[in-house]
Amino acid sequence: MRRWRRFFAHWENWLGLLLILGFSIGAVAAPVLSPPDEADPGPFKQIGRASDFVPHPPGEEAILGTLPGQYDVFHTLVWGMRDAMLFGLLVALGSFLIGVFFGSVAGYAGGFVNGLMMRVADAFLTFPPIAGVVFLQQLVLNSITALGGLYYFDPIFFGRVLALGAPPTPLVALLAKIDPLMIVLILFSWMPYARLVNSIVLTLKGADYVQAARALGGSSSWVVRRHLIPNSMAPAVVLAARDVGGAVILQATITFIGLGGLSPWGMLLSMGRNFVLGPGGSLLTHWWVYLPVTLAVILFGLSWNLIGDGLNDVLGPASRGGYVSRQFWKRNTKQDEQVRSRDDQLLDSSPAG
Amino acid sequence: MPPLLQFIIRRLFYAVLSLMIITMVLYAGVMLSPPEARAQLYFPRGKGAERATEGYLRSIIRDHHLDRPYLVQYGYWVKSLIEGDWGYSPTLREDVLPALLRRTPVTLELALYSLLVLVPLGLASGLIAGWKPREGFDNTFRSMAFFGTTMPPFIFSFVLLSLFYVNLDWFAPGRLSFEYSLEISKEAFRAHTGMVTIDSLLNGRLDILWDALKHLVMPVLTLSMYHWATLGRITRTTIIAERDKEHILAAKARGIPERKLMWRYAFRSVLVPSLTSVALSAAAMLTGVLVVEAIFDLKGLSAVIVGSMNSAPDAPAALGFSVYSVLLVIGLMFLLDIAQAILDPRVREEVLKT
Repeated sequence: MRRWRRFFAHWENWLGLLLILGFSIGAVAAPVLSPPDEADPGPFKQIGRASDFVPHPPGEEAILGTLPGQYDVFHTLVWGMRDAMLFGLLVALGSFLIGVFFGSVAGYAGGFVNGLMMRVADAFLTFPPIAGVVFLQQLVLNSITALGGLYYFDPIFFGRVLALGAPPTPLVALLAKIDPLMIVLILFSWMPYARLVNSIVLTLKGADYVQAARALGGSSSWVVRRHLIPNSMAPAVVLAARDVGGAVILQATITFIGLGGLSPWGMLLSMGRNFVLGPGGSLLTHWWVYLPVTLAVILFGLSWNLIGDGLNDVLGPASRGGYVSRQFWKRNTKQDEQVRSRDDQLLDSSPAG
Repeated sequence: MPPLLQFIIRRLFYAVLSLMIITMVLYAGVMLSPPEARAQLYFPRGKGAERATEGYLRSIIRDHHLDRPYLVQYGYWVKSLIEGDWGYSPTLREDVLPALLRRTPVTLELALYSLLVLVPLGLASGLIAGWKPREGFDNTFRSMAFFGTTMPPFIFSFVLLSLFYVNLDWFAPGRLSFEYSLEISKEAFRAHTGMVTIDSLLNGRLDILWDALKHLVMPVLTLSMYHWATLGRITRTTIIAERDKEHILAAKARGIPERKLMWRYAFRSVLVPSLTSVALSAAAMLTGVLVVEAIFDLKGLSAVIVGSMNSAPDAPAALGFSVYSVLLVIGLMFLLDIAQAILDPRVREEVLKT
């Protein structure tokens, strides 16, 4: 309990929690806050003539104004929260689960198997996510076209849209549904978790109570499940909290520069871009095409970072954490320690580039 | 055999192992697509997907062993990679490997200048801030670093472009102004390295150098800000832990001046953790460089994928780019590992021991 009192003693943590609460409310209540268009549900809603390419300032019709093509900014902002929340949480959860499982299994197996499995994790660490995004999208695209699908270009989003052969085979339909970016981010961000958990499990294996559990005849999987995984959670949770924000920012970035991804916020920014960066544009004249969404992206990343820092603080050295976190942090702060291991670095640096 | 050489050989082995693992994963991904889609990797120049007939497809599948088991196919693919045959990209209208090699200096140039800005700045500011935590400079540093890590680079560059390009017209995106970009394609301008700033110096054209530097300001600023903040934070935490250690205390007791203590004694101990952090985030940094390149229209390596993502499917470019970027990251990590072994007495001892 004391830990949580410490957690709530800092205003930063309050701010983080409040922001996340706000985003969650927006995500859940999106249909109420901005009812979707019956004919064309989704994060974009047209409220006016599509041929009108001048963004309109905030007014009666649209609280936060419109984009070129009369897309409602407020609608995308709110529905983008839903997408961002879902995307960030799924990516963090996915990489968390894979990483924790991989790291603890390797650590428990120990010896040669551990070395090999951690080599695999290291190899994954050398793969830049941007390459993965491109690779996987091309793969999906190629497979769909090879299976008889088609693609055409969307003149509004300046992107490629797939037209499935009619009727699409189940495989093609499935391929078209997956979000390559999400898969890539999960596939290439589980390594820090694995390394963290692995190093903890390796230190824990010698702990008395784990030895006792084994001596009592507990099976390996039971020891891993019952003792090792629950006790190595704390630092991984910190990492996961930061990953949520990082993943959403990366998604928006990739969408913004036109490499795919489905971030409504990123799309909205790239749609309104010309009114800020085009000839005669400025940050002041058409502020509503970029400001609300930019703020949303920044605050989203900020809130998860704050929570991550707060958790790090609470689960960190001075707190009365469980056995492991105490051991783990003591090991990190102990003087004349050998080289600060790479895993400790991972907690300091935030995940997204 | 000298221990350092042994260490290098061991690291080299690890690097090759990493490369093998990741290419196997990549090719396993390729294997998920049907053989007809895989055949696109081997289409020669001028034979687009739309022109390929059934029979032609089948002959490619047969010639390149695309109907064989995974490991056999992987072997043939690696063989063709080593032979320099990385496929032909229909969107770039050229072979993938030369296209990648030609654009590498642009990316390297940007990365180099960013590192030159961010590494000294990050180390120095982290050191000064951590030396006296929770005091004047540290507070400024922490709020700035917080800003740096919270501000997504693409939004920061968006604001920069709007202010300094559209409104003030001080800097511009792209590599060079139009007249100079014509200039450097002339025969009189000898391209030695492919990096404009260095080439213009070698050619004695200071006006081109000035122009190129002006075009680098915004991307370098964007890139360094984020990574400066991360590096500075790591340096700061390290120095706070390091400050109270015995060897620093002993040096203080011997009467060594504060400044020397800081820059000579404490500074050494932060080098290695910082190097490690750079090595660990090498892949993320490469992603950052490519994103910034794409935003500022620098036509580096990112041009290979941005082009191919916005038009017809281009598997050879995507696959080649993936392999190439992994190569870059592994090379960088390898270099940093060796630098670490040379710099850090503790690692050095370990090298000597085993």
